[in-house]
Amino acid sequence: MLGYYFRLAINSFRRTPGLTLLMVGAIALGISTCIVTLTVYHAMSGNPIWWKNNVLYAVTMDAWDPSPADPYYSDHPERAPAQLSYRDAMYLYQSPIPGRKVIMTVLFGMLSGAPGESVPMQAQTQATTHDFFSMFDVPFEYGGSWDAAADNGPAPVIVLSKKTNDRLFGGADSVGQTVLWNGHRFRIVGVLDDWRPLPRFYDMTTSAWNDPQPVYVPFQWGPMLQAMPAGNSSCWGAKPVKTYQEFIGSECIWIEMWAELPTAQARARMQAYMNSYWASQHRAGRFMRPINNHLTKVSDWLRINGVVSSDSRILLRLAFAFLTVCLINTIGILLAKFLRAAPTAGLRRALGASRKQIFLQHLAEVATLSVAGATLGLALGAAGLTAVHALYASGGAYGELAHFDPLGIVWALALAAISTLAAGLYPAWTVGRLPPSLYLKSR
Amino acid sequence: MLKMQDVSKVYRTDLIETHALRNFSLEVKSGQFVAVSGPSGSGKTTFLNVAGLLETFDTGVYELDGADVSRLSDDARSRMRNEKIGFIFQSFNLIPDLDIYDNVDVPLRYRRMKAAERNTRITKALELVGLASRMKHMPSQLSGGQQQRVAIARAIAGDPALILADEPTGNLDSLMARQVMDLLEQINEMGTTIVLVTHDPELARRAQRNIHIVDGLVIDSAPPYERRSTTVSFSADATGSRAG
Amino acid sequence: MNIRPVVSALLRNRVGAILVALEVAIALAVLVNAAFIVGQRIAKIAEPTGLDQQDMFAIAMAGTTTDFDAQSSARDDIAYLRSMHGVVSAAPAGTIPLTGDGSNGELYLEPDQRGGSAVGSWLATDEQGLRTLGATLIAGRNFRASEIRHLARGDIDQAVPEVIVTQSMAHALFPGRNALGQVVYDRQNRPITIIGIVRDFVGQVGFGSPPYNVVILPQVPGAYGSYFCLVRTEPGRAEAILHLAERHLAASNATRVIFFAHTLDYYKAQLDSDDRNMAIFLVVVTALILAITCLGIFGLTTFNVSTRTKQIGTMRAVGARKRDVVSHFLLENAIIVGLGVLIGCTLALGVGYWLSMEYGLPRLDLYFLAIGVLILAVIGQLAAWQPARRAASVPPSVATRTV
Repeated sequence: MLGYYFRLAINSFRRTPGLTLLMVGAIALGISTCIVTLTVYHAMSGNPIWWKNNVLYAVTMDAWDPSPADPYYSDHPERAPAQLSYRDAMYLYQSPIPGRKVIMTVLFGMLSGAPGESVPMQAQTQATTHDFFSMFDVPFEYGGSWDAAADNGPAPVIVLSKKTNDRLFGGADSVGQTVLWNGHRFRIVGVLDDWRPLPRFYDMTTSAWNDPQPVYVPFQWGPMLQAMPAGNSSCWGAKPVKTYQEFIGSECIWIEMWAELPTAQARARMQAYMNSYWASQHRAGRFMRPINNHLTKVSDWLRINGVVSSDSRILLRLAFAFLTVCLINTIGILLAKFLRAAPTAGLRRALGASRKQIFLQHLAEVATLSVAGATLGLALGAAGLTAVHALYASGGAYGELAHFDPLGIVWALALAAISTLAAGLYPAWTVGRLPPSLYLKSR
Repeated sequence: MLKMQDVSKVYRTDLIETHALRNFSLEVKSGQFVAVSGPSGSGKTTFLNVAGLLETFDTGVYELDGADVSRLSDDARSRMRNEKIGFIFQSFNLIPDLDIYDNVDVPLRYRRMKAAERNTRITKALELVGLASRMKHMPSQLSGGQQQRVAIARAIAGDPALILADEPTGNLDSLMARQVMDLLEQINEMGTTIVLVTHDPELARRAQRNIHIVDGLVIDSAPPYERRSTTVSFSADATGSRAG
Repeated sequence: MNIRPVVSALLRNRVGAILVALEVAIALAVLVNAAFIVGQRIAKIAEPTGLDQQDMFAIAMAGTTTDFDAQSSARDDIAYLRSMHGVVSAAPAGTIPLTGDGSNGELYLEPDQRGGSAVGSWLATDEQGLRTLGATLIAGRNFRASEIRHLARGDIDQAVPEVIVTQSMAHALFPGRNALGQVVYDRQNRPITIIGIVRDFVGQVGFGSPPYNVVILPQVPGAYGSYFCLVRTEPGRAEAILHLAERHLAASNATRVIFFAHTLDYYKAQLDSDDRNMAIFLVVVTALILAITCLGIFGLTTFNVSTRTKQIGTMRAVGARKRDVVSHFLLENAIIVGLGVLIGCTLALGVGYWLSMEYGLPRLDLYFLAIGVLILAVIGQLAAWQPARRAASVPPSVATRTV
């Protein structure tokens, strides 16, 4: 029976090729636009570590300038800055609260001494602690992280990103070999696999759409070499900061901290720890702003930092408006077609078709249209994403965006199939409802 | 076969009430060939629609092949139409973008027959009406008479108990009309009950009984007419205008 | 023109007419708001940077060793750049305009951070900086070579006794007054005199300082072991000279490497790219919506005409001229499109209002609404033009044919 219905559907399409093309084309265009926009939106607002969303927390305390004219965020004066000073970071990092913690900053780095690379390679360096890799589920191709003892040293150990390793060692297993980092000999303990969380949730103090840093060293190398941070660093206060020692003793903030707190109890303990530290420092004359200590999980962190641009949300709504227009178009055309075919439907009723069978026959036509439109839409969507990729790759803050997102695609296809079917339901149902005798009066 | 007792149907609009059928009673025995005639507006079409389960009626009883139709659901009525009744319309009502084979196929599809059985029935029906060689042609490639013969084939393909014909020759010239009537007689001789609705008294005379309707009421039937038998042969030429 | 048969024809297929009207309404709402947003983005891209970015480029240098002598390296590099053919001027810089690379800070009207303040980008450069930037002095004077401080490594927070500011910065600090010669204070309460005011140009972007607020400091950067070189070339030669310079400088000094090197045009394009992409996307989707709507009207009208040939034949048979048939269908379409435009106006205003509330966009300019209505009315009618004309060629004899 279904085969019969589909044969009738094809017949119907051939009767009005122009309109059929318009319907399929419109659906396809609507779906492909939604696919492109959804993918971009999803990629831009997605949580790259969603499986750990309830476990990872950004640790922030507010030791900023108490003068009300001088908030850190001028458009959100109540918000605490994203980074900590050296003093606060050290204290919090050394808290006895069980659970992994990580502190990090960015240092300027120059790599040299690798075989085959004559020219030194500059490399923004992530100076961080050993738990960085396990906390953020960073995959390793060779080797692994350094250990806590190396953090304390600090030991001259280094982890390379895949791209760096490809460039310096041709992609071979370089664990155990050494390179010169800022003139000092460092031993490679690990090489990362492909890893590109978008957005770069753990460090959004510079563009959230940049790649993770190409090399990693233990955090204490910064103080050890008295190397000023190369990322975002902000200071306030009247005390002059002229030397590195003064810098790390000042209120300048340049360190980000994350904590892994899997249970509510752990979170409560950490919060209490922060609060009591705040209280004692407040008594000593620091932390003059109202208490503003937070543990923020990743999804909230992304939202607070305004990572999803309003542009992409506007475009998403526009895409759905477009799909709506396409669907309305389709309903209108289907309605007209089915109503014109009503006499034939009436005839079939007279010859013994039940209302349900007429409805199914026309629904099959709608379903065929929807499948055709969805398939074409998928193809167009893939093409569209390639175009968007080219558009974004040529510039803009989003770098190499728009990898095909399977979840979004499934969603878009389901949306298209369901919405087209829903669109066709009304016309199909209307045809079946008409009394057969109405169209048979030949006089 | 067909038993109507005091059937009434009223059409109501905001302004007018039309009594299309008033206390209409009719009994047609199985195997009979009955004509229902009357002037325009007499209620013939309404009678046909009610008899063919295309419309409901307001009062009275209608039994078709022993079953009381007033209790039937829409689905059941559709099934009854499909299995028990064959329709022939004045304007043929073939589906223009299906070929002849598929047109005859339509009622069989709703009976969920297997393809082999459908094929047999369609072929037999088309052979009976003499158009088996034109199976793959489209309706637009046939003359009016040939199209009506296809419609007849469609009506009989499912072996219905009753055939309802609504002015089957209204759109045909006299030659084609004769062919169609001969075919109907042939079908009746094979045992199918036929009810023919027409305003043409000549046509009505070819039936065994003639029921006259005026204003929704039955005026008694004319006496049976001697039937003459005619040998019919159909040539398969393009215009189909030859007979005999 | 008798409107009643037209209205009754429409009422017979109410749902179909409403659907088309809805399409038109949505198309109008989209067209109006998208055009508005695109106009804004174009305006944003067209905002003057105050720089001749097409004739400028920047090279970022970084030392390869911890004892890298940034000062002498910068001196040599700048000297080389200044010597190149086609280079108008070159200067070291602590901030690359149009990028996030650099720093910003605050100036206060009174010591102890009181009395009001303004935030601006900090652009450290030497006495050729203004010339390289193409910044025009409108008051005061440029730095003298003797006033330029050269920072040694680790010299993080050196005092500067005088600065040059942009107009916007001056206005932010001293609205309505002359900022020239005024004394302001830095975070460490050190007094700073404003010795010059230049026409606005864009400094650092993306880190919280208003783009046209720039403070120019007489400093050659070197405290961090890295520095930028800003170069201004003769018109049209920036790209070529950049490549030449890159090649030479990469090889000339082993103690330092080129971090990156780009024309300022490149940075401007980066800045613009989000707005540009948004505008492109909006234009494409809006065009598609309009196309679909028009094709829908065209298709449906054609279809309806072919369905109603009997009615048309009857009209002609009772005396309607070809013109009357065309008018009938055009009027039908006009009513539907008109209804759609009406609904669309409300929708457009609603969407515009919502956009301004949700996303802080400015309120929709009614001018756009008027133009949008006009466009949609015209193309909506045009779409039905050909099918309506086709209707006129239906012969009157169709009225009597039954089969």
